[in-house]
Amino acid sequence: MGLRFHSFLMLVTLAAIPAAASAQGQAAAIPRTADGKPDLSGIWQVMNTAAWDIQDHAAQKGVPAGPGVVEGNDIPYQPSALAKKKENYERRATLDPEAKCYLPGVPRITYMPYPFQIIQKPTDLTILYEYVHTVRYIFANGTPHPPGPIDWWLGDSRGRWEGDTLVVDVIHFNDQTWFDRAGNFHSDALHVVERYTLTDPDHITYAVTVEDPKVFTRPWNMSMILYRHKERNFQLYEYECYGFDYEKLYPYPQQGAAR
Amino acid sequence: MRTEQLIVALGIGAVLLSTAASVAAQGQRGGGPPRPWPPQKLSDGQPDVQGIWAAANGGSVSLTNPISGGEDLDRRITGVEPRRPSRIIDPPDGKLPYQPWAAARQKQQELDYDHASRPEHIDPQHRCLLSGIPRLYTIVPAFKIIQAPGQVIFVWDEYHAYRVIPLDGRPHVAANVKLWMGDGRGHWEGNTLVVDTTNVRGARLTYIGDFHSENAHVTERFNFVDADTMNYEATVDDPTVFTRPWTIRVVEKRRPDQEVWESACWEGNVNPDTFLDEGKK
Repeated sequence: MGLRFHSFLMLVTLAAIPAAASAQGQAAAIPRTADGKPDLSGIWQVMNTAAWDIQDHAAQKGVPAGPGVVEGNDIPYQPSALAKKKENYERRATLDPEAKCYLPGVPRITYMPYPFQIIQKPTDLTILYEYVHTVRYIFANGTPHPPGPIDWWLGDSRGRWEGDTLVVDVIHFNDQTWFDRAGNFHSDALHVVERYTLTDPDHITYAVTVEDPKVFTRPWNMSMILYRHKERNFQLYEYECYGFDYEKLYPYPQQGAAR
Repeated sequence: MRTEQLIVALGIGAVLLSTAASVAAQGQRGGGPPRPWPPQKLSDGQPDVQGIWAAANGGSVSLTNPISGGEDLDRRITGVEPRRPSRIIDPPDGKLPYQPWAAARQKQQELDYDHASRPEHIDPQHRCLLSGIPRLYTIVPAFKIIQAPGQVIFVWDEYHAYRVIPLDGRPHVAANVKLWMGDGRGHWEGNTLVVDTTNVRGARLTYIGDFHSENAHVTERFNFVDADTMNYEATVDDPTVFTRPWTIRVVEKRRPDQEVWESACWEGNVNPDTFLDEGKK
């Protein structure tokens, strides 16, 4: 009896060691799905100013200052493309596709100042963005991109797991979207690779490789952190961008108002 | 047929063609095995009803004669009036119980729709605005049901519309927050998902100008009756517009599983002037 009890205590002690180590160590265990993959499900949002400018920038009226998210800060534009970027910046108030309420493309949709929700399944991930109810499906069942050419606002997303990182390959874009409100742009030859890595239960490292031989001289990278919304009862609301201009056209009787 | 009617009809036709192209482009990527019935339980106890669904007889031309946009086009060309049973199961007469002023407004909006001379005469759905609840369950395009622990999610094939319905009993958002998709709170009663939807915006229900106000309280019942059939019932209680609550029923059928591809709408919108009558009223 005494011996058996001693053995039992030892087992308990041994079992407790990994848990204690991780609690005291660097990072808590990340949530995982039933199939053992990191579980990215939840509501996320960036905490940076990349929506205004993905490069280092000082404040302007209505533009918060911030460090950029481009590795090395420089974007390797071809000379003619750099001229177009400068023109885009000068005329950004009218040329920015966001000003027209268009679907903002990938990766721009990720770092706009609105939350988004990831729903993860073994064969696909659905991302619901608050901005104009944008919906994105990442197919992760091993199927290839459909044959193109296809011009989509958000491209075609195919995901695969490399260890604990979700790698998403995105092609089939149109040439209508930008990277930010500062006029950084691409062509329809854009190829984006996103890497989502859950580093602890509440943070995702989001790394992006951008390739576009029509606009850039070489591939370049962005990196940022996605933060989990943990507020009680947090949910997506709406930013129905193009709906605002319609409100006056389609009036309805309102609460307590005389008709 | 008068010229302006033809123009409206062509406009509707263009919308339908774009819908058809979107569906055709997706093709079939595996119908999958038959779904079990009764449904399997998910890890949080929900019955698994995931997949792609659509109204068996889709179309939001009218609630009392719910023909599709395509049938509406035929009607305008041939002059032959198709008849379908009313979606309205209560009141028993199958008609919307409008207050007199609201009935007059609906009639005017129907007339304006047939003889559109100003942008606001165009059905907002044709301008890519979200039609909200319950209209999106009556339209032709399909929707996908995704279930996550403690949540049911609906994502439509068109208009990039979606709604996330928590099942945890949390309160609704503040009353002054009006949402295009409303604020739904759900719970399961056996194989029926019951959703209490508030915080809606005023919206059109049909092409022909039926409408509700932002005071509408919608009680929805998604009654899954077999592996491939769900009866959707929505009771709308809107004392601002109607004399009493009313209920619609729409039979929804499961569609084959397939990849849902991007459907931009607003991005391809045309100037509303191209929809309108040349002979302004």
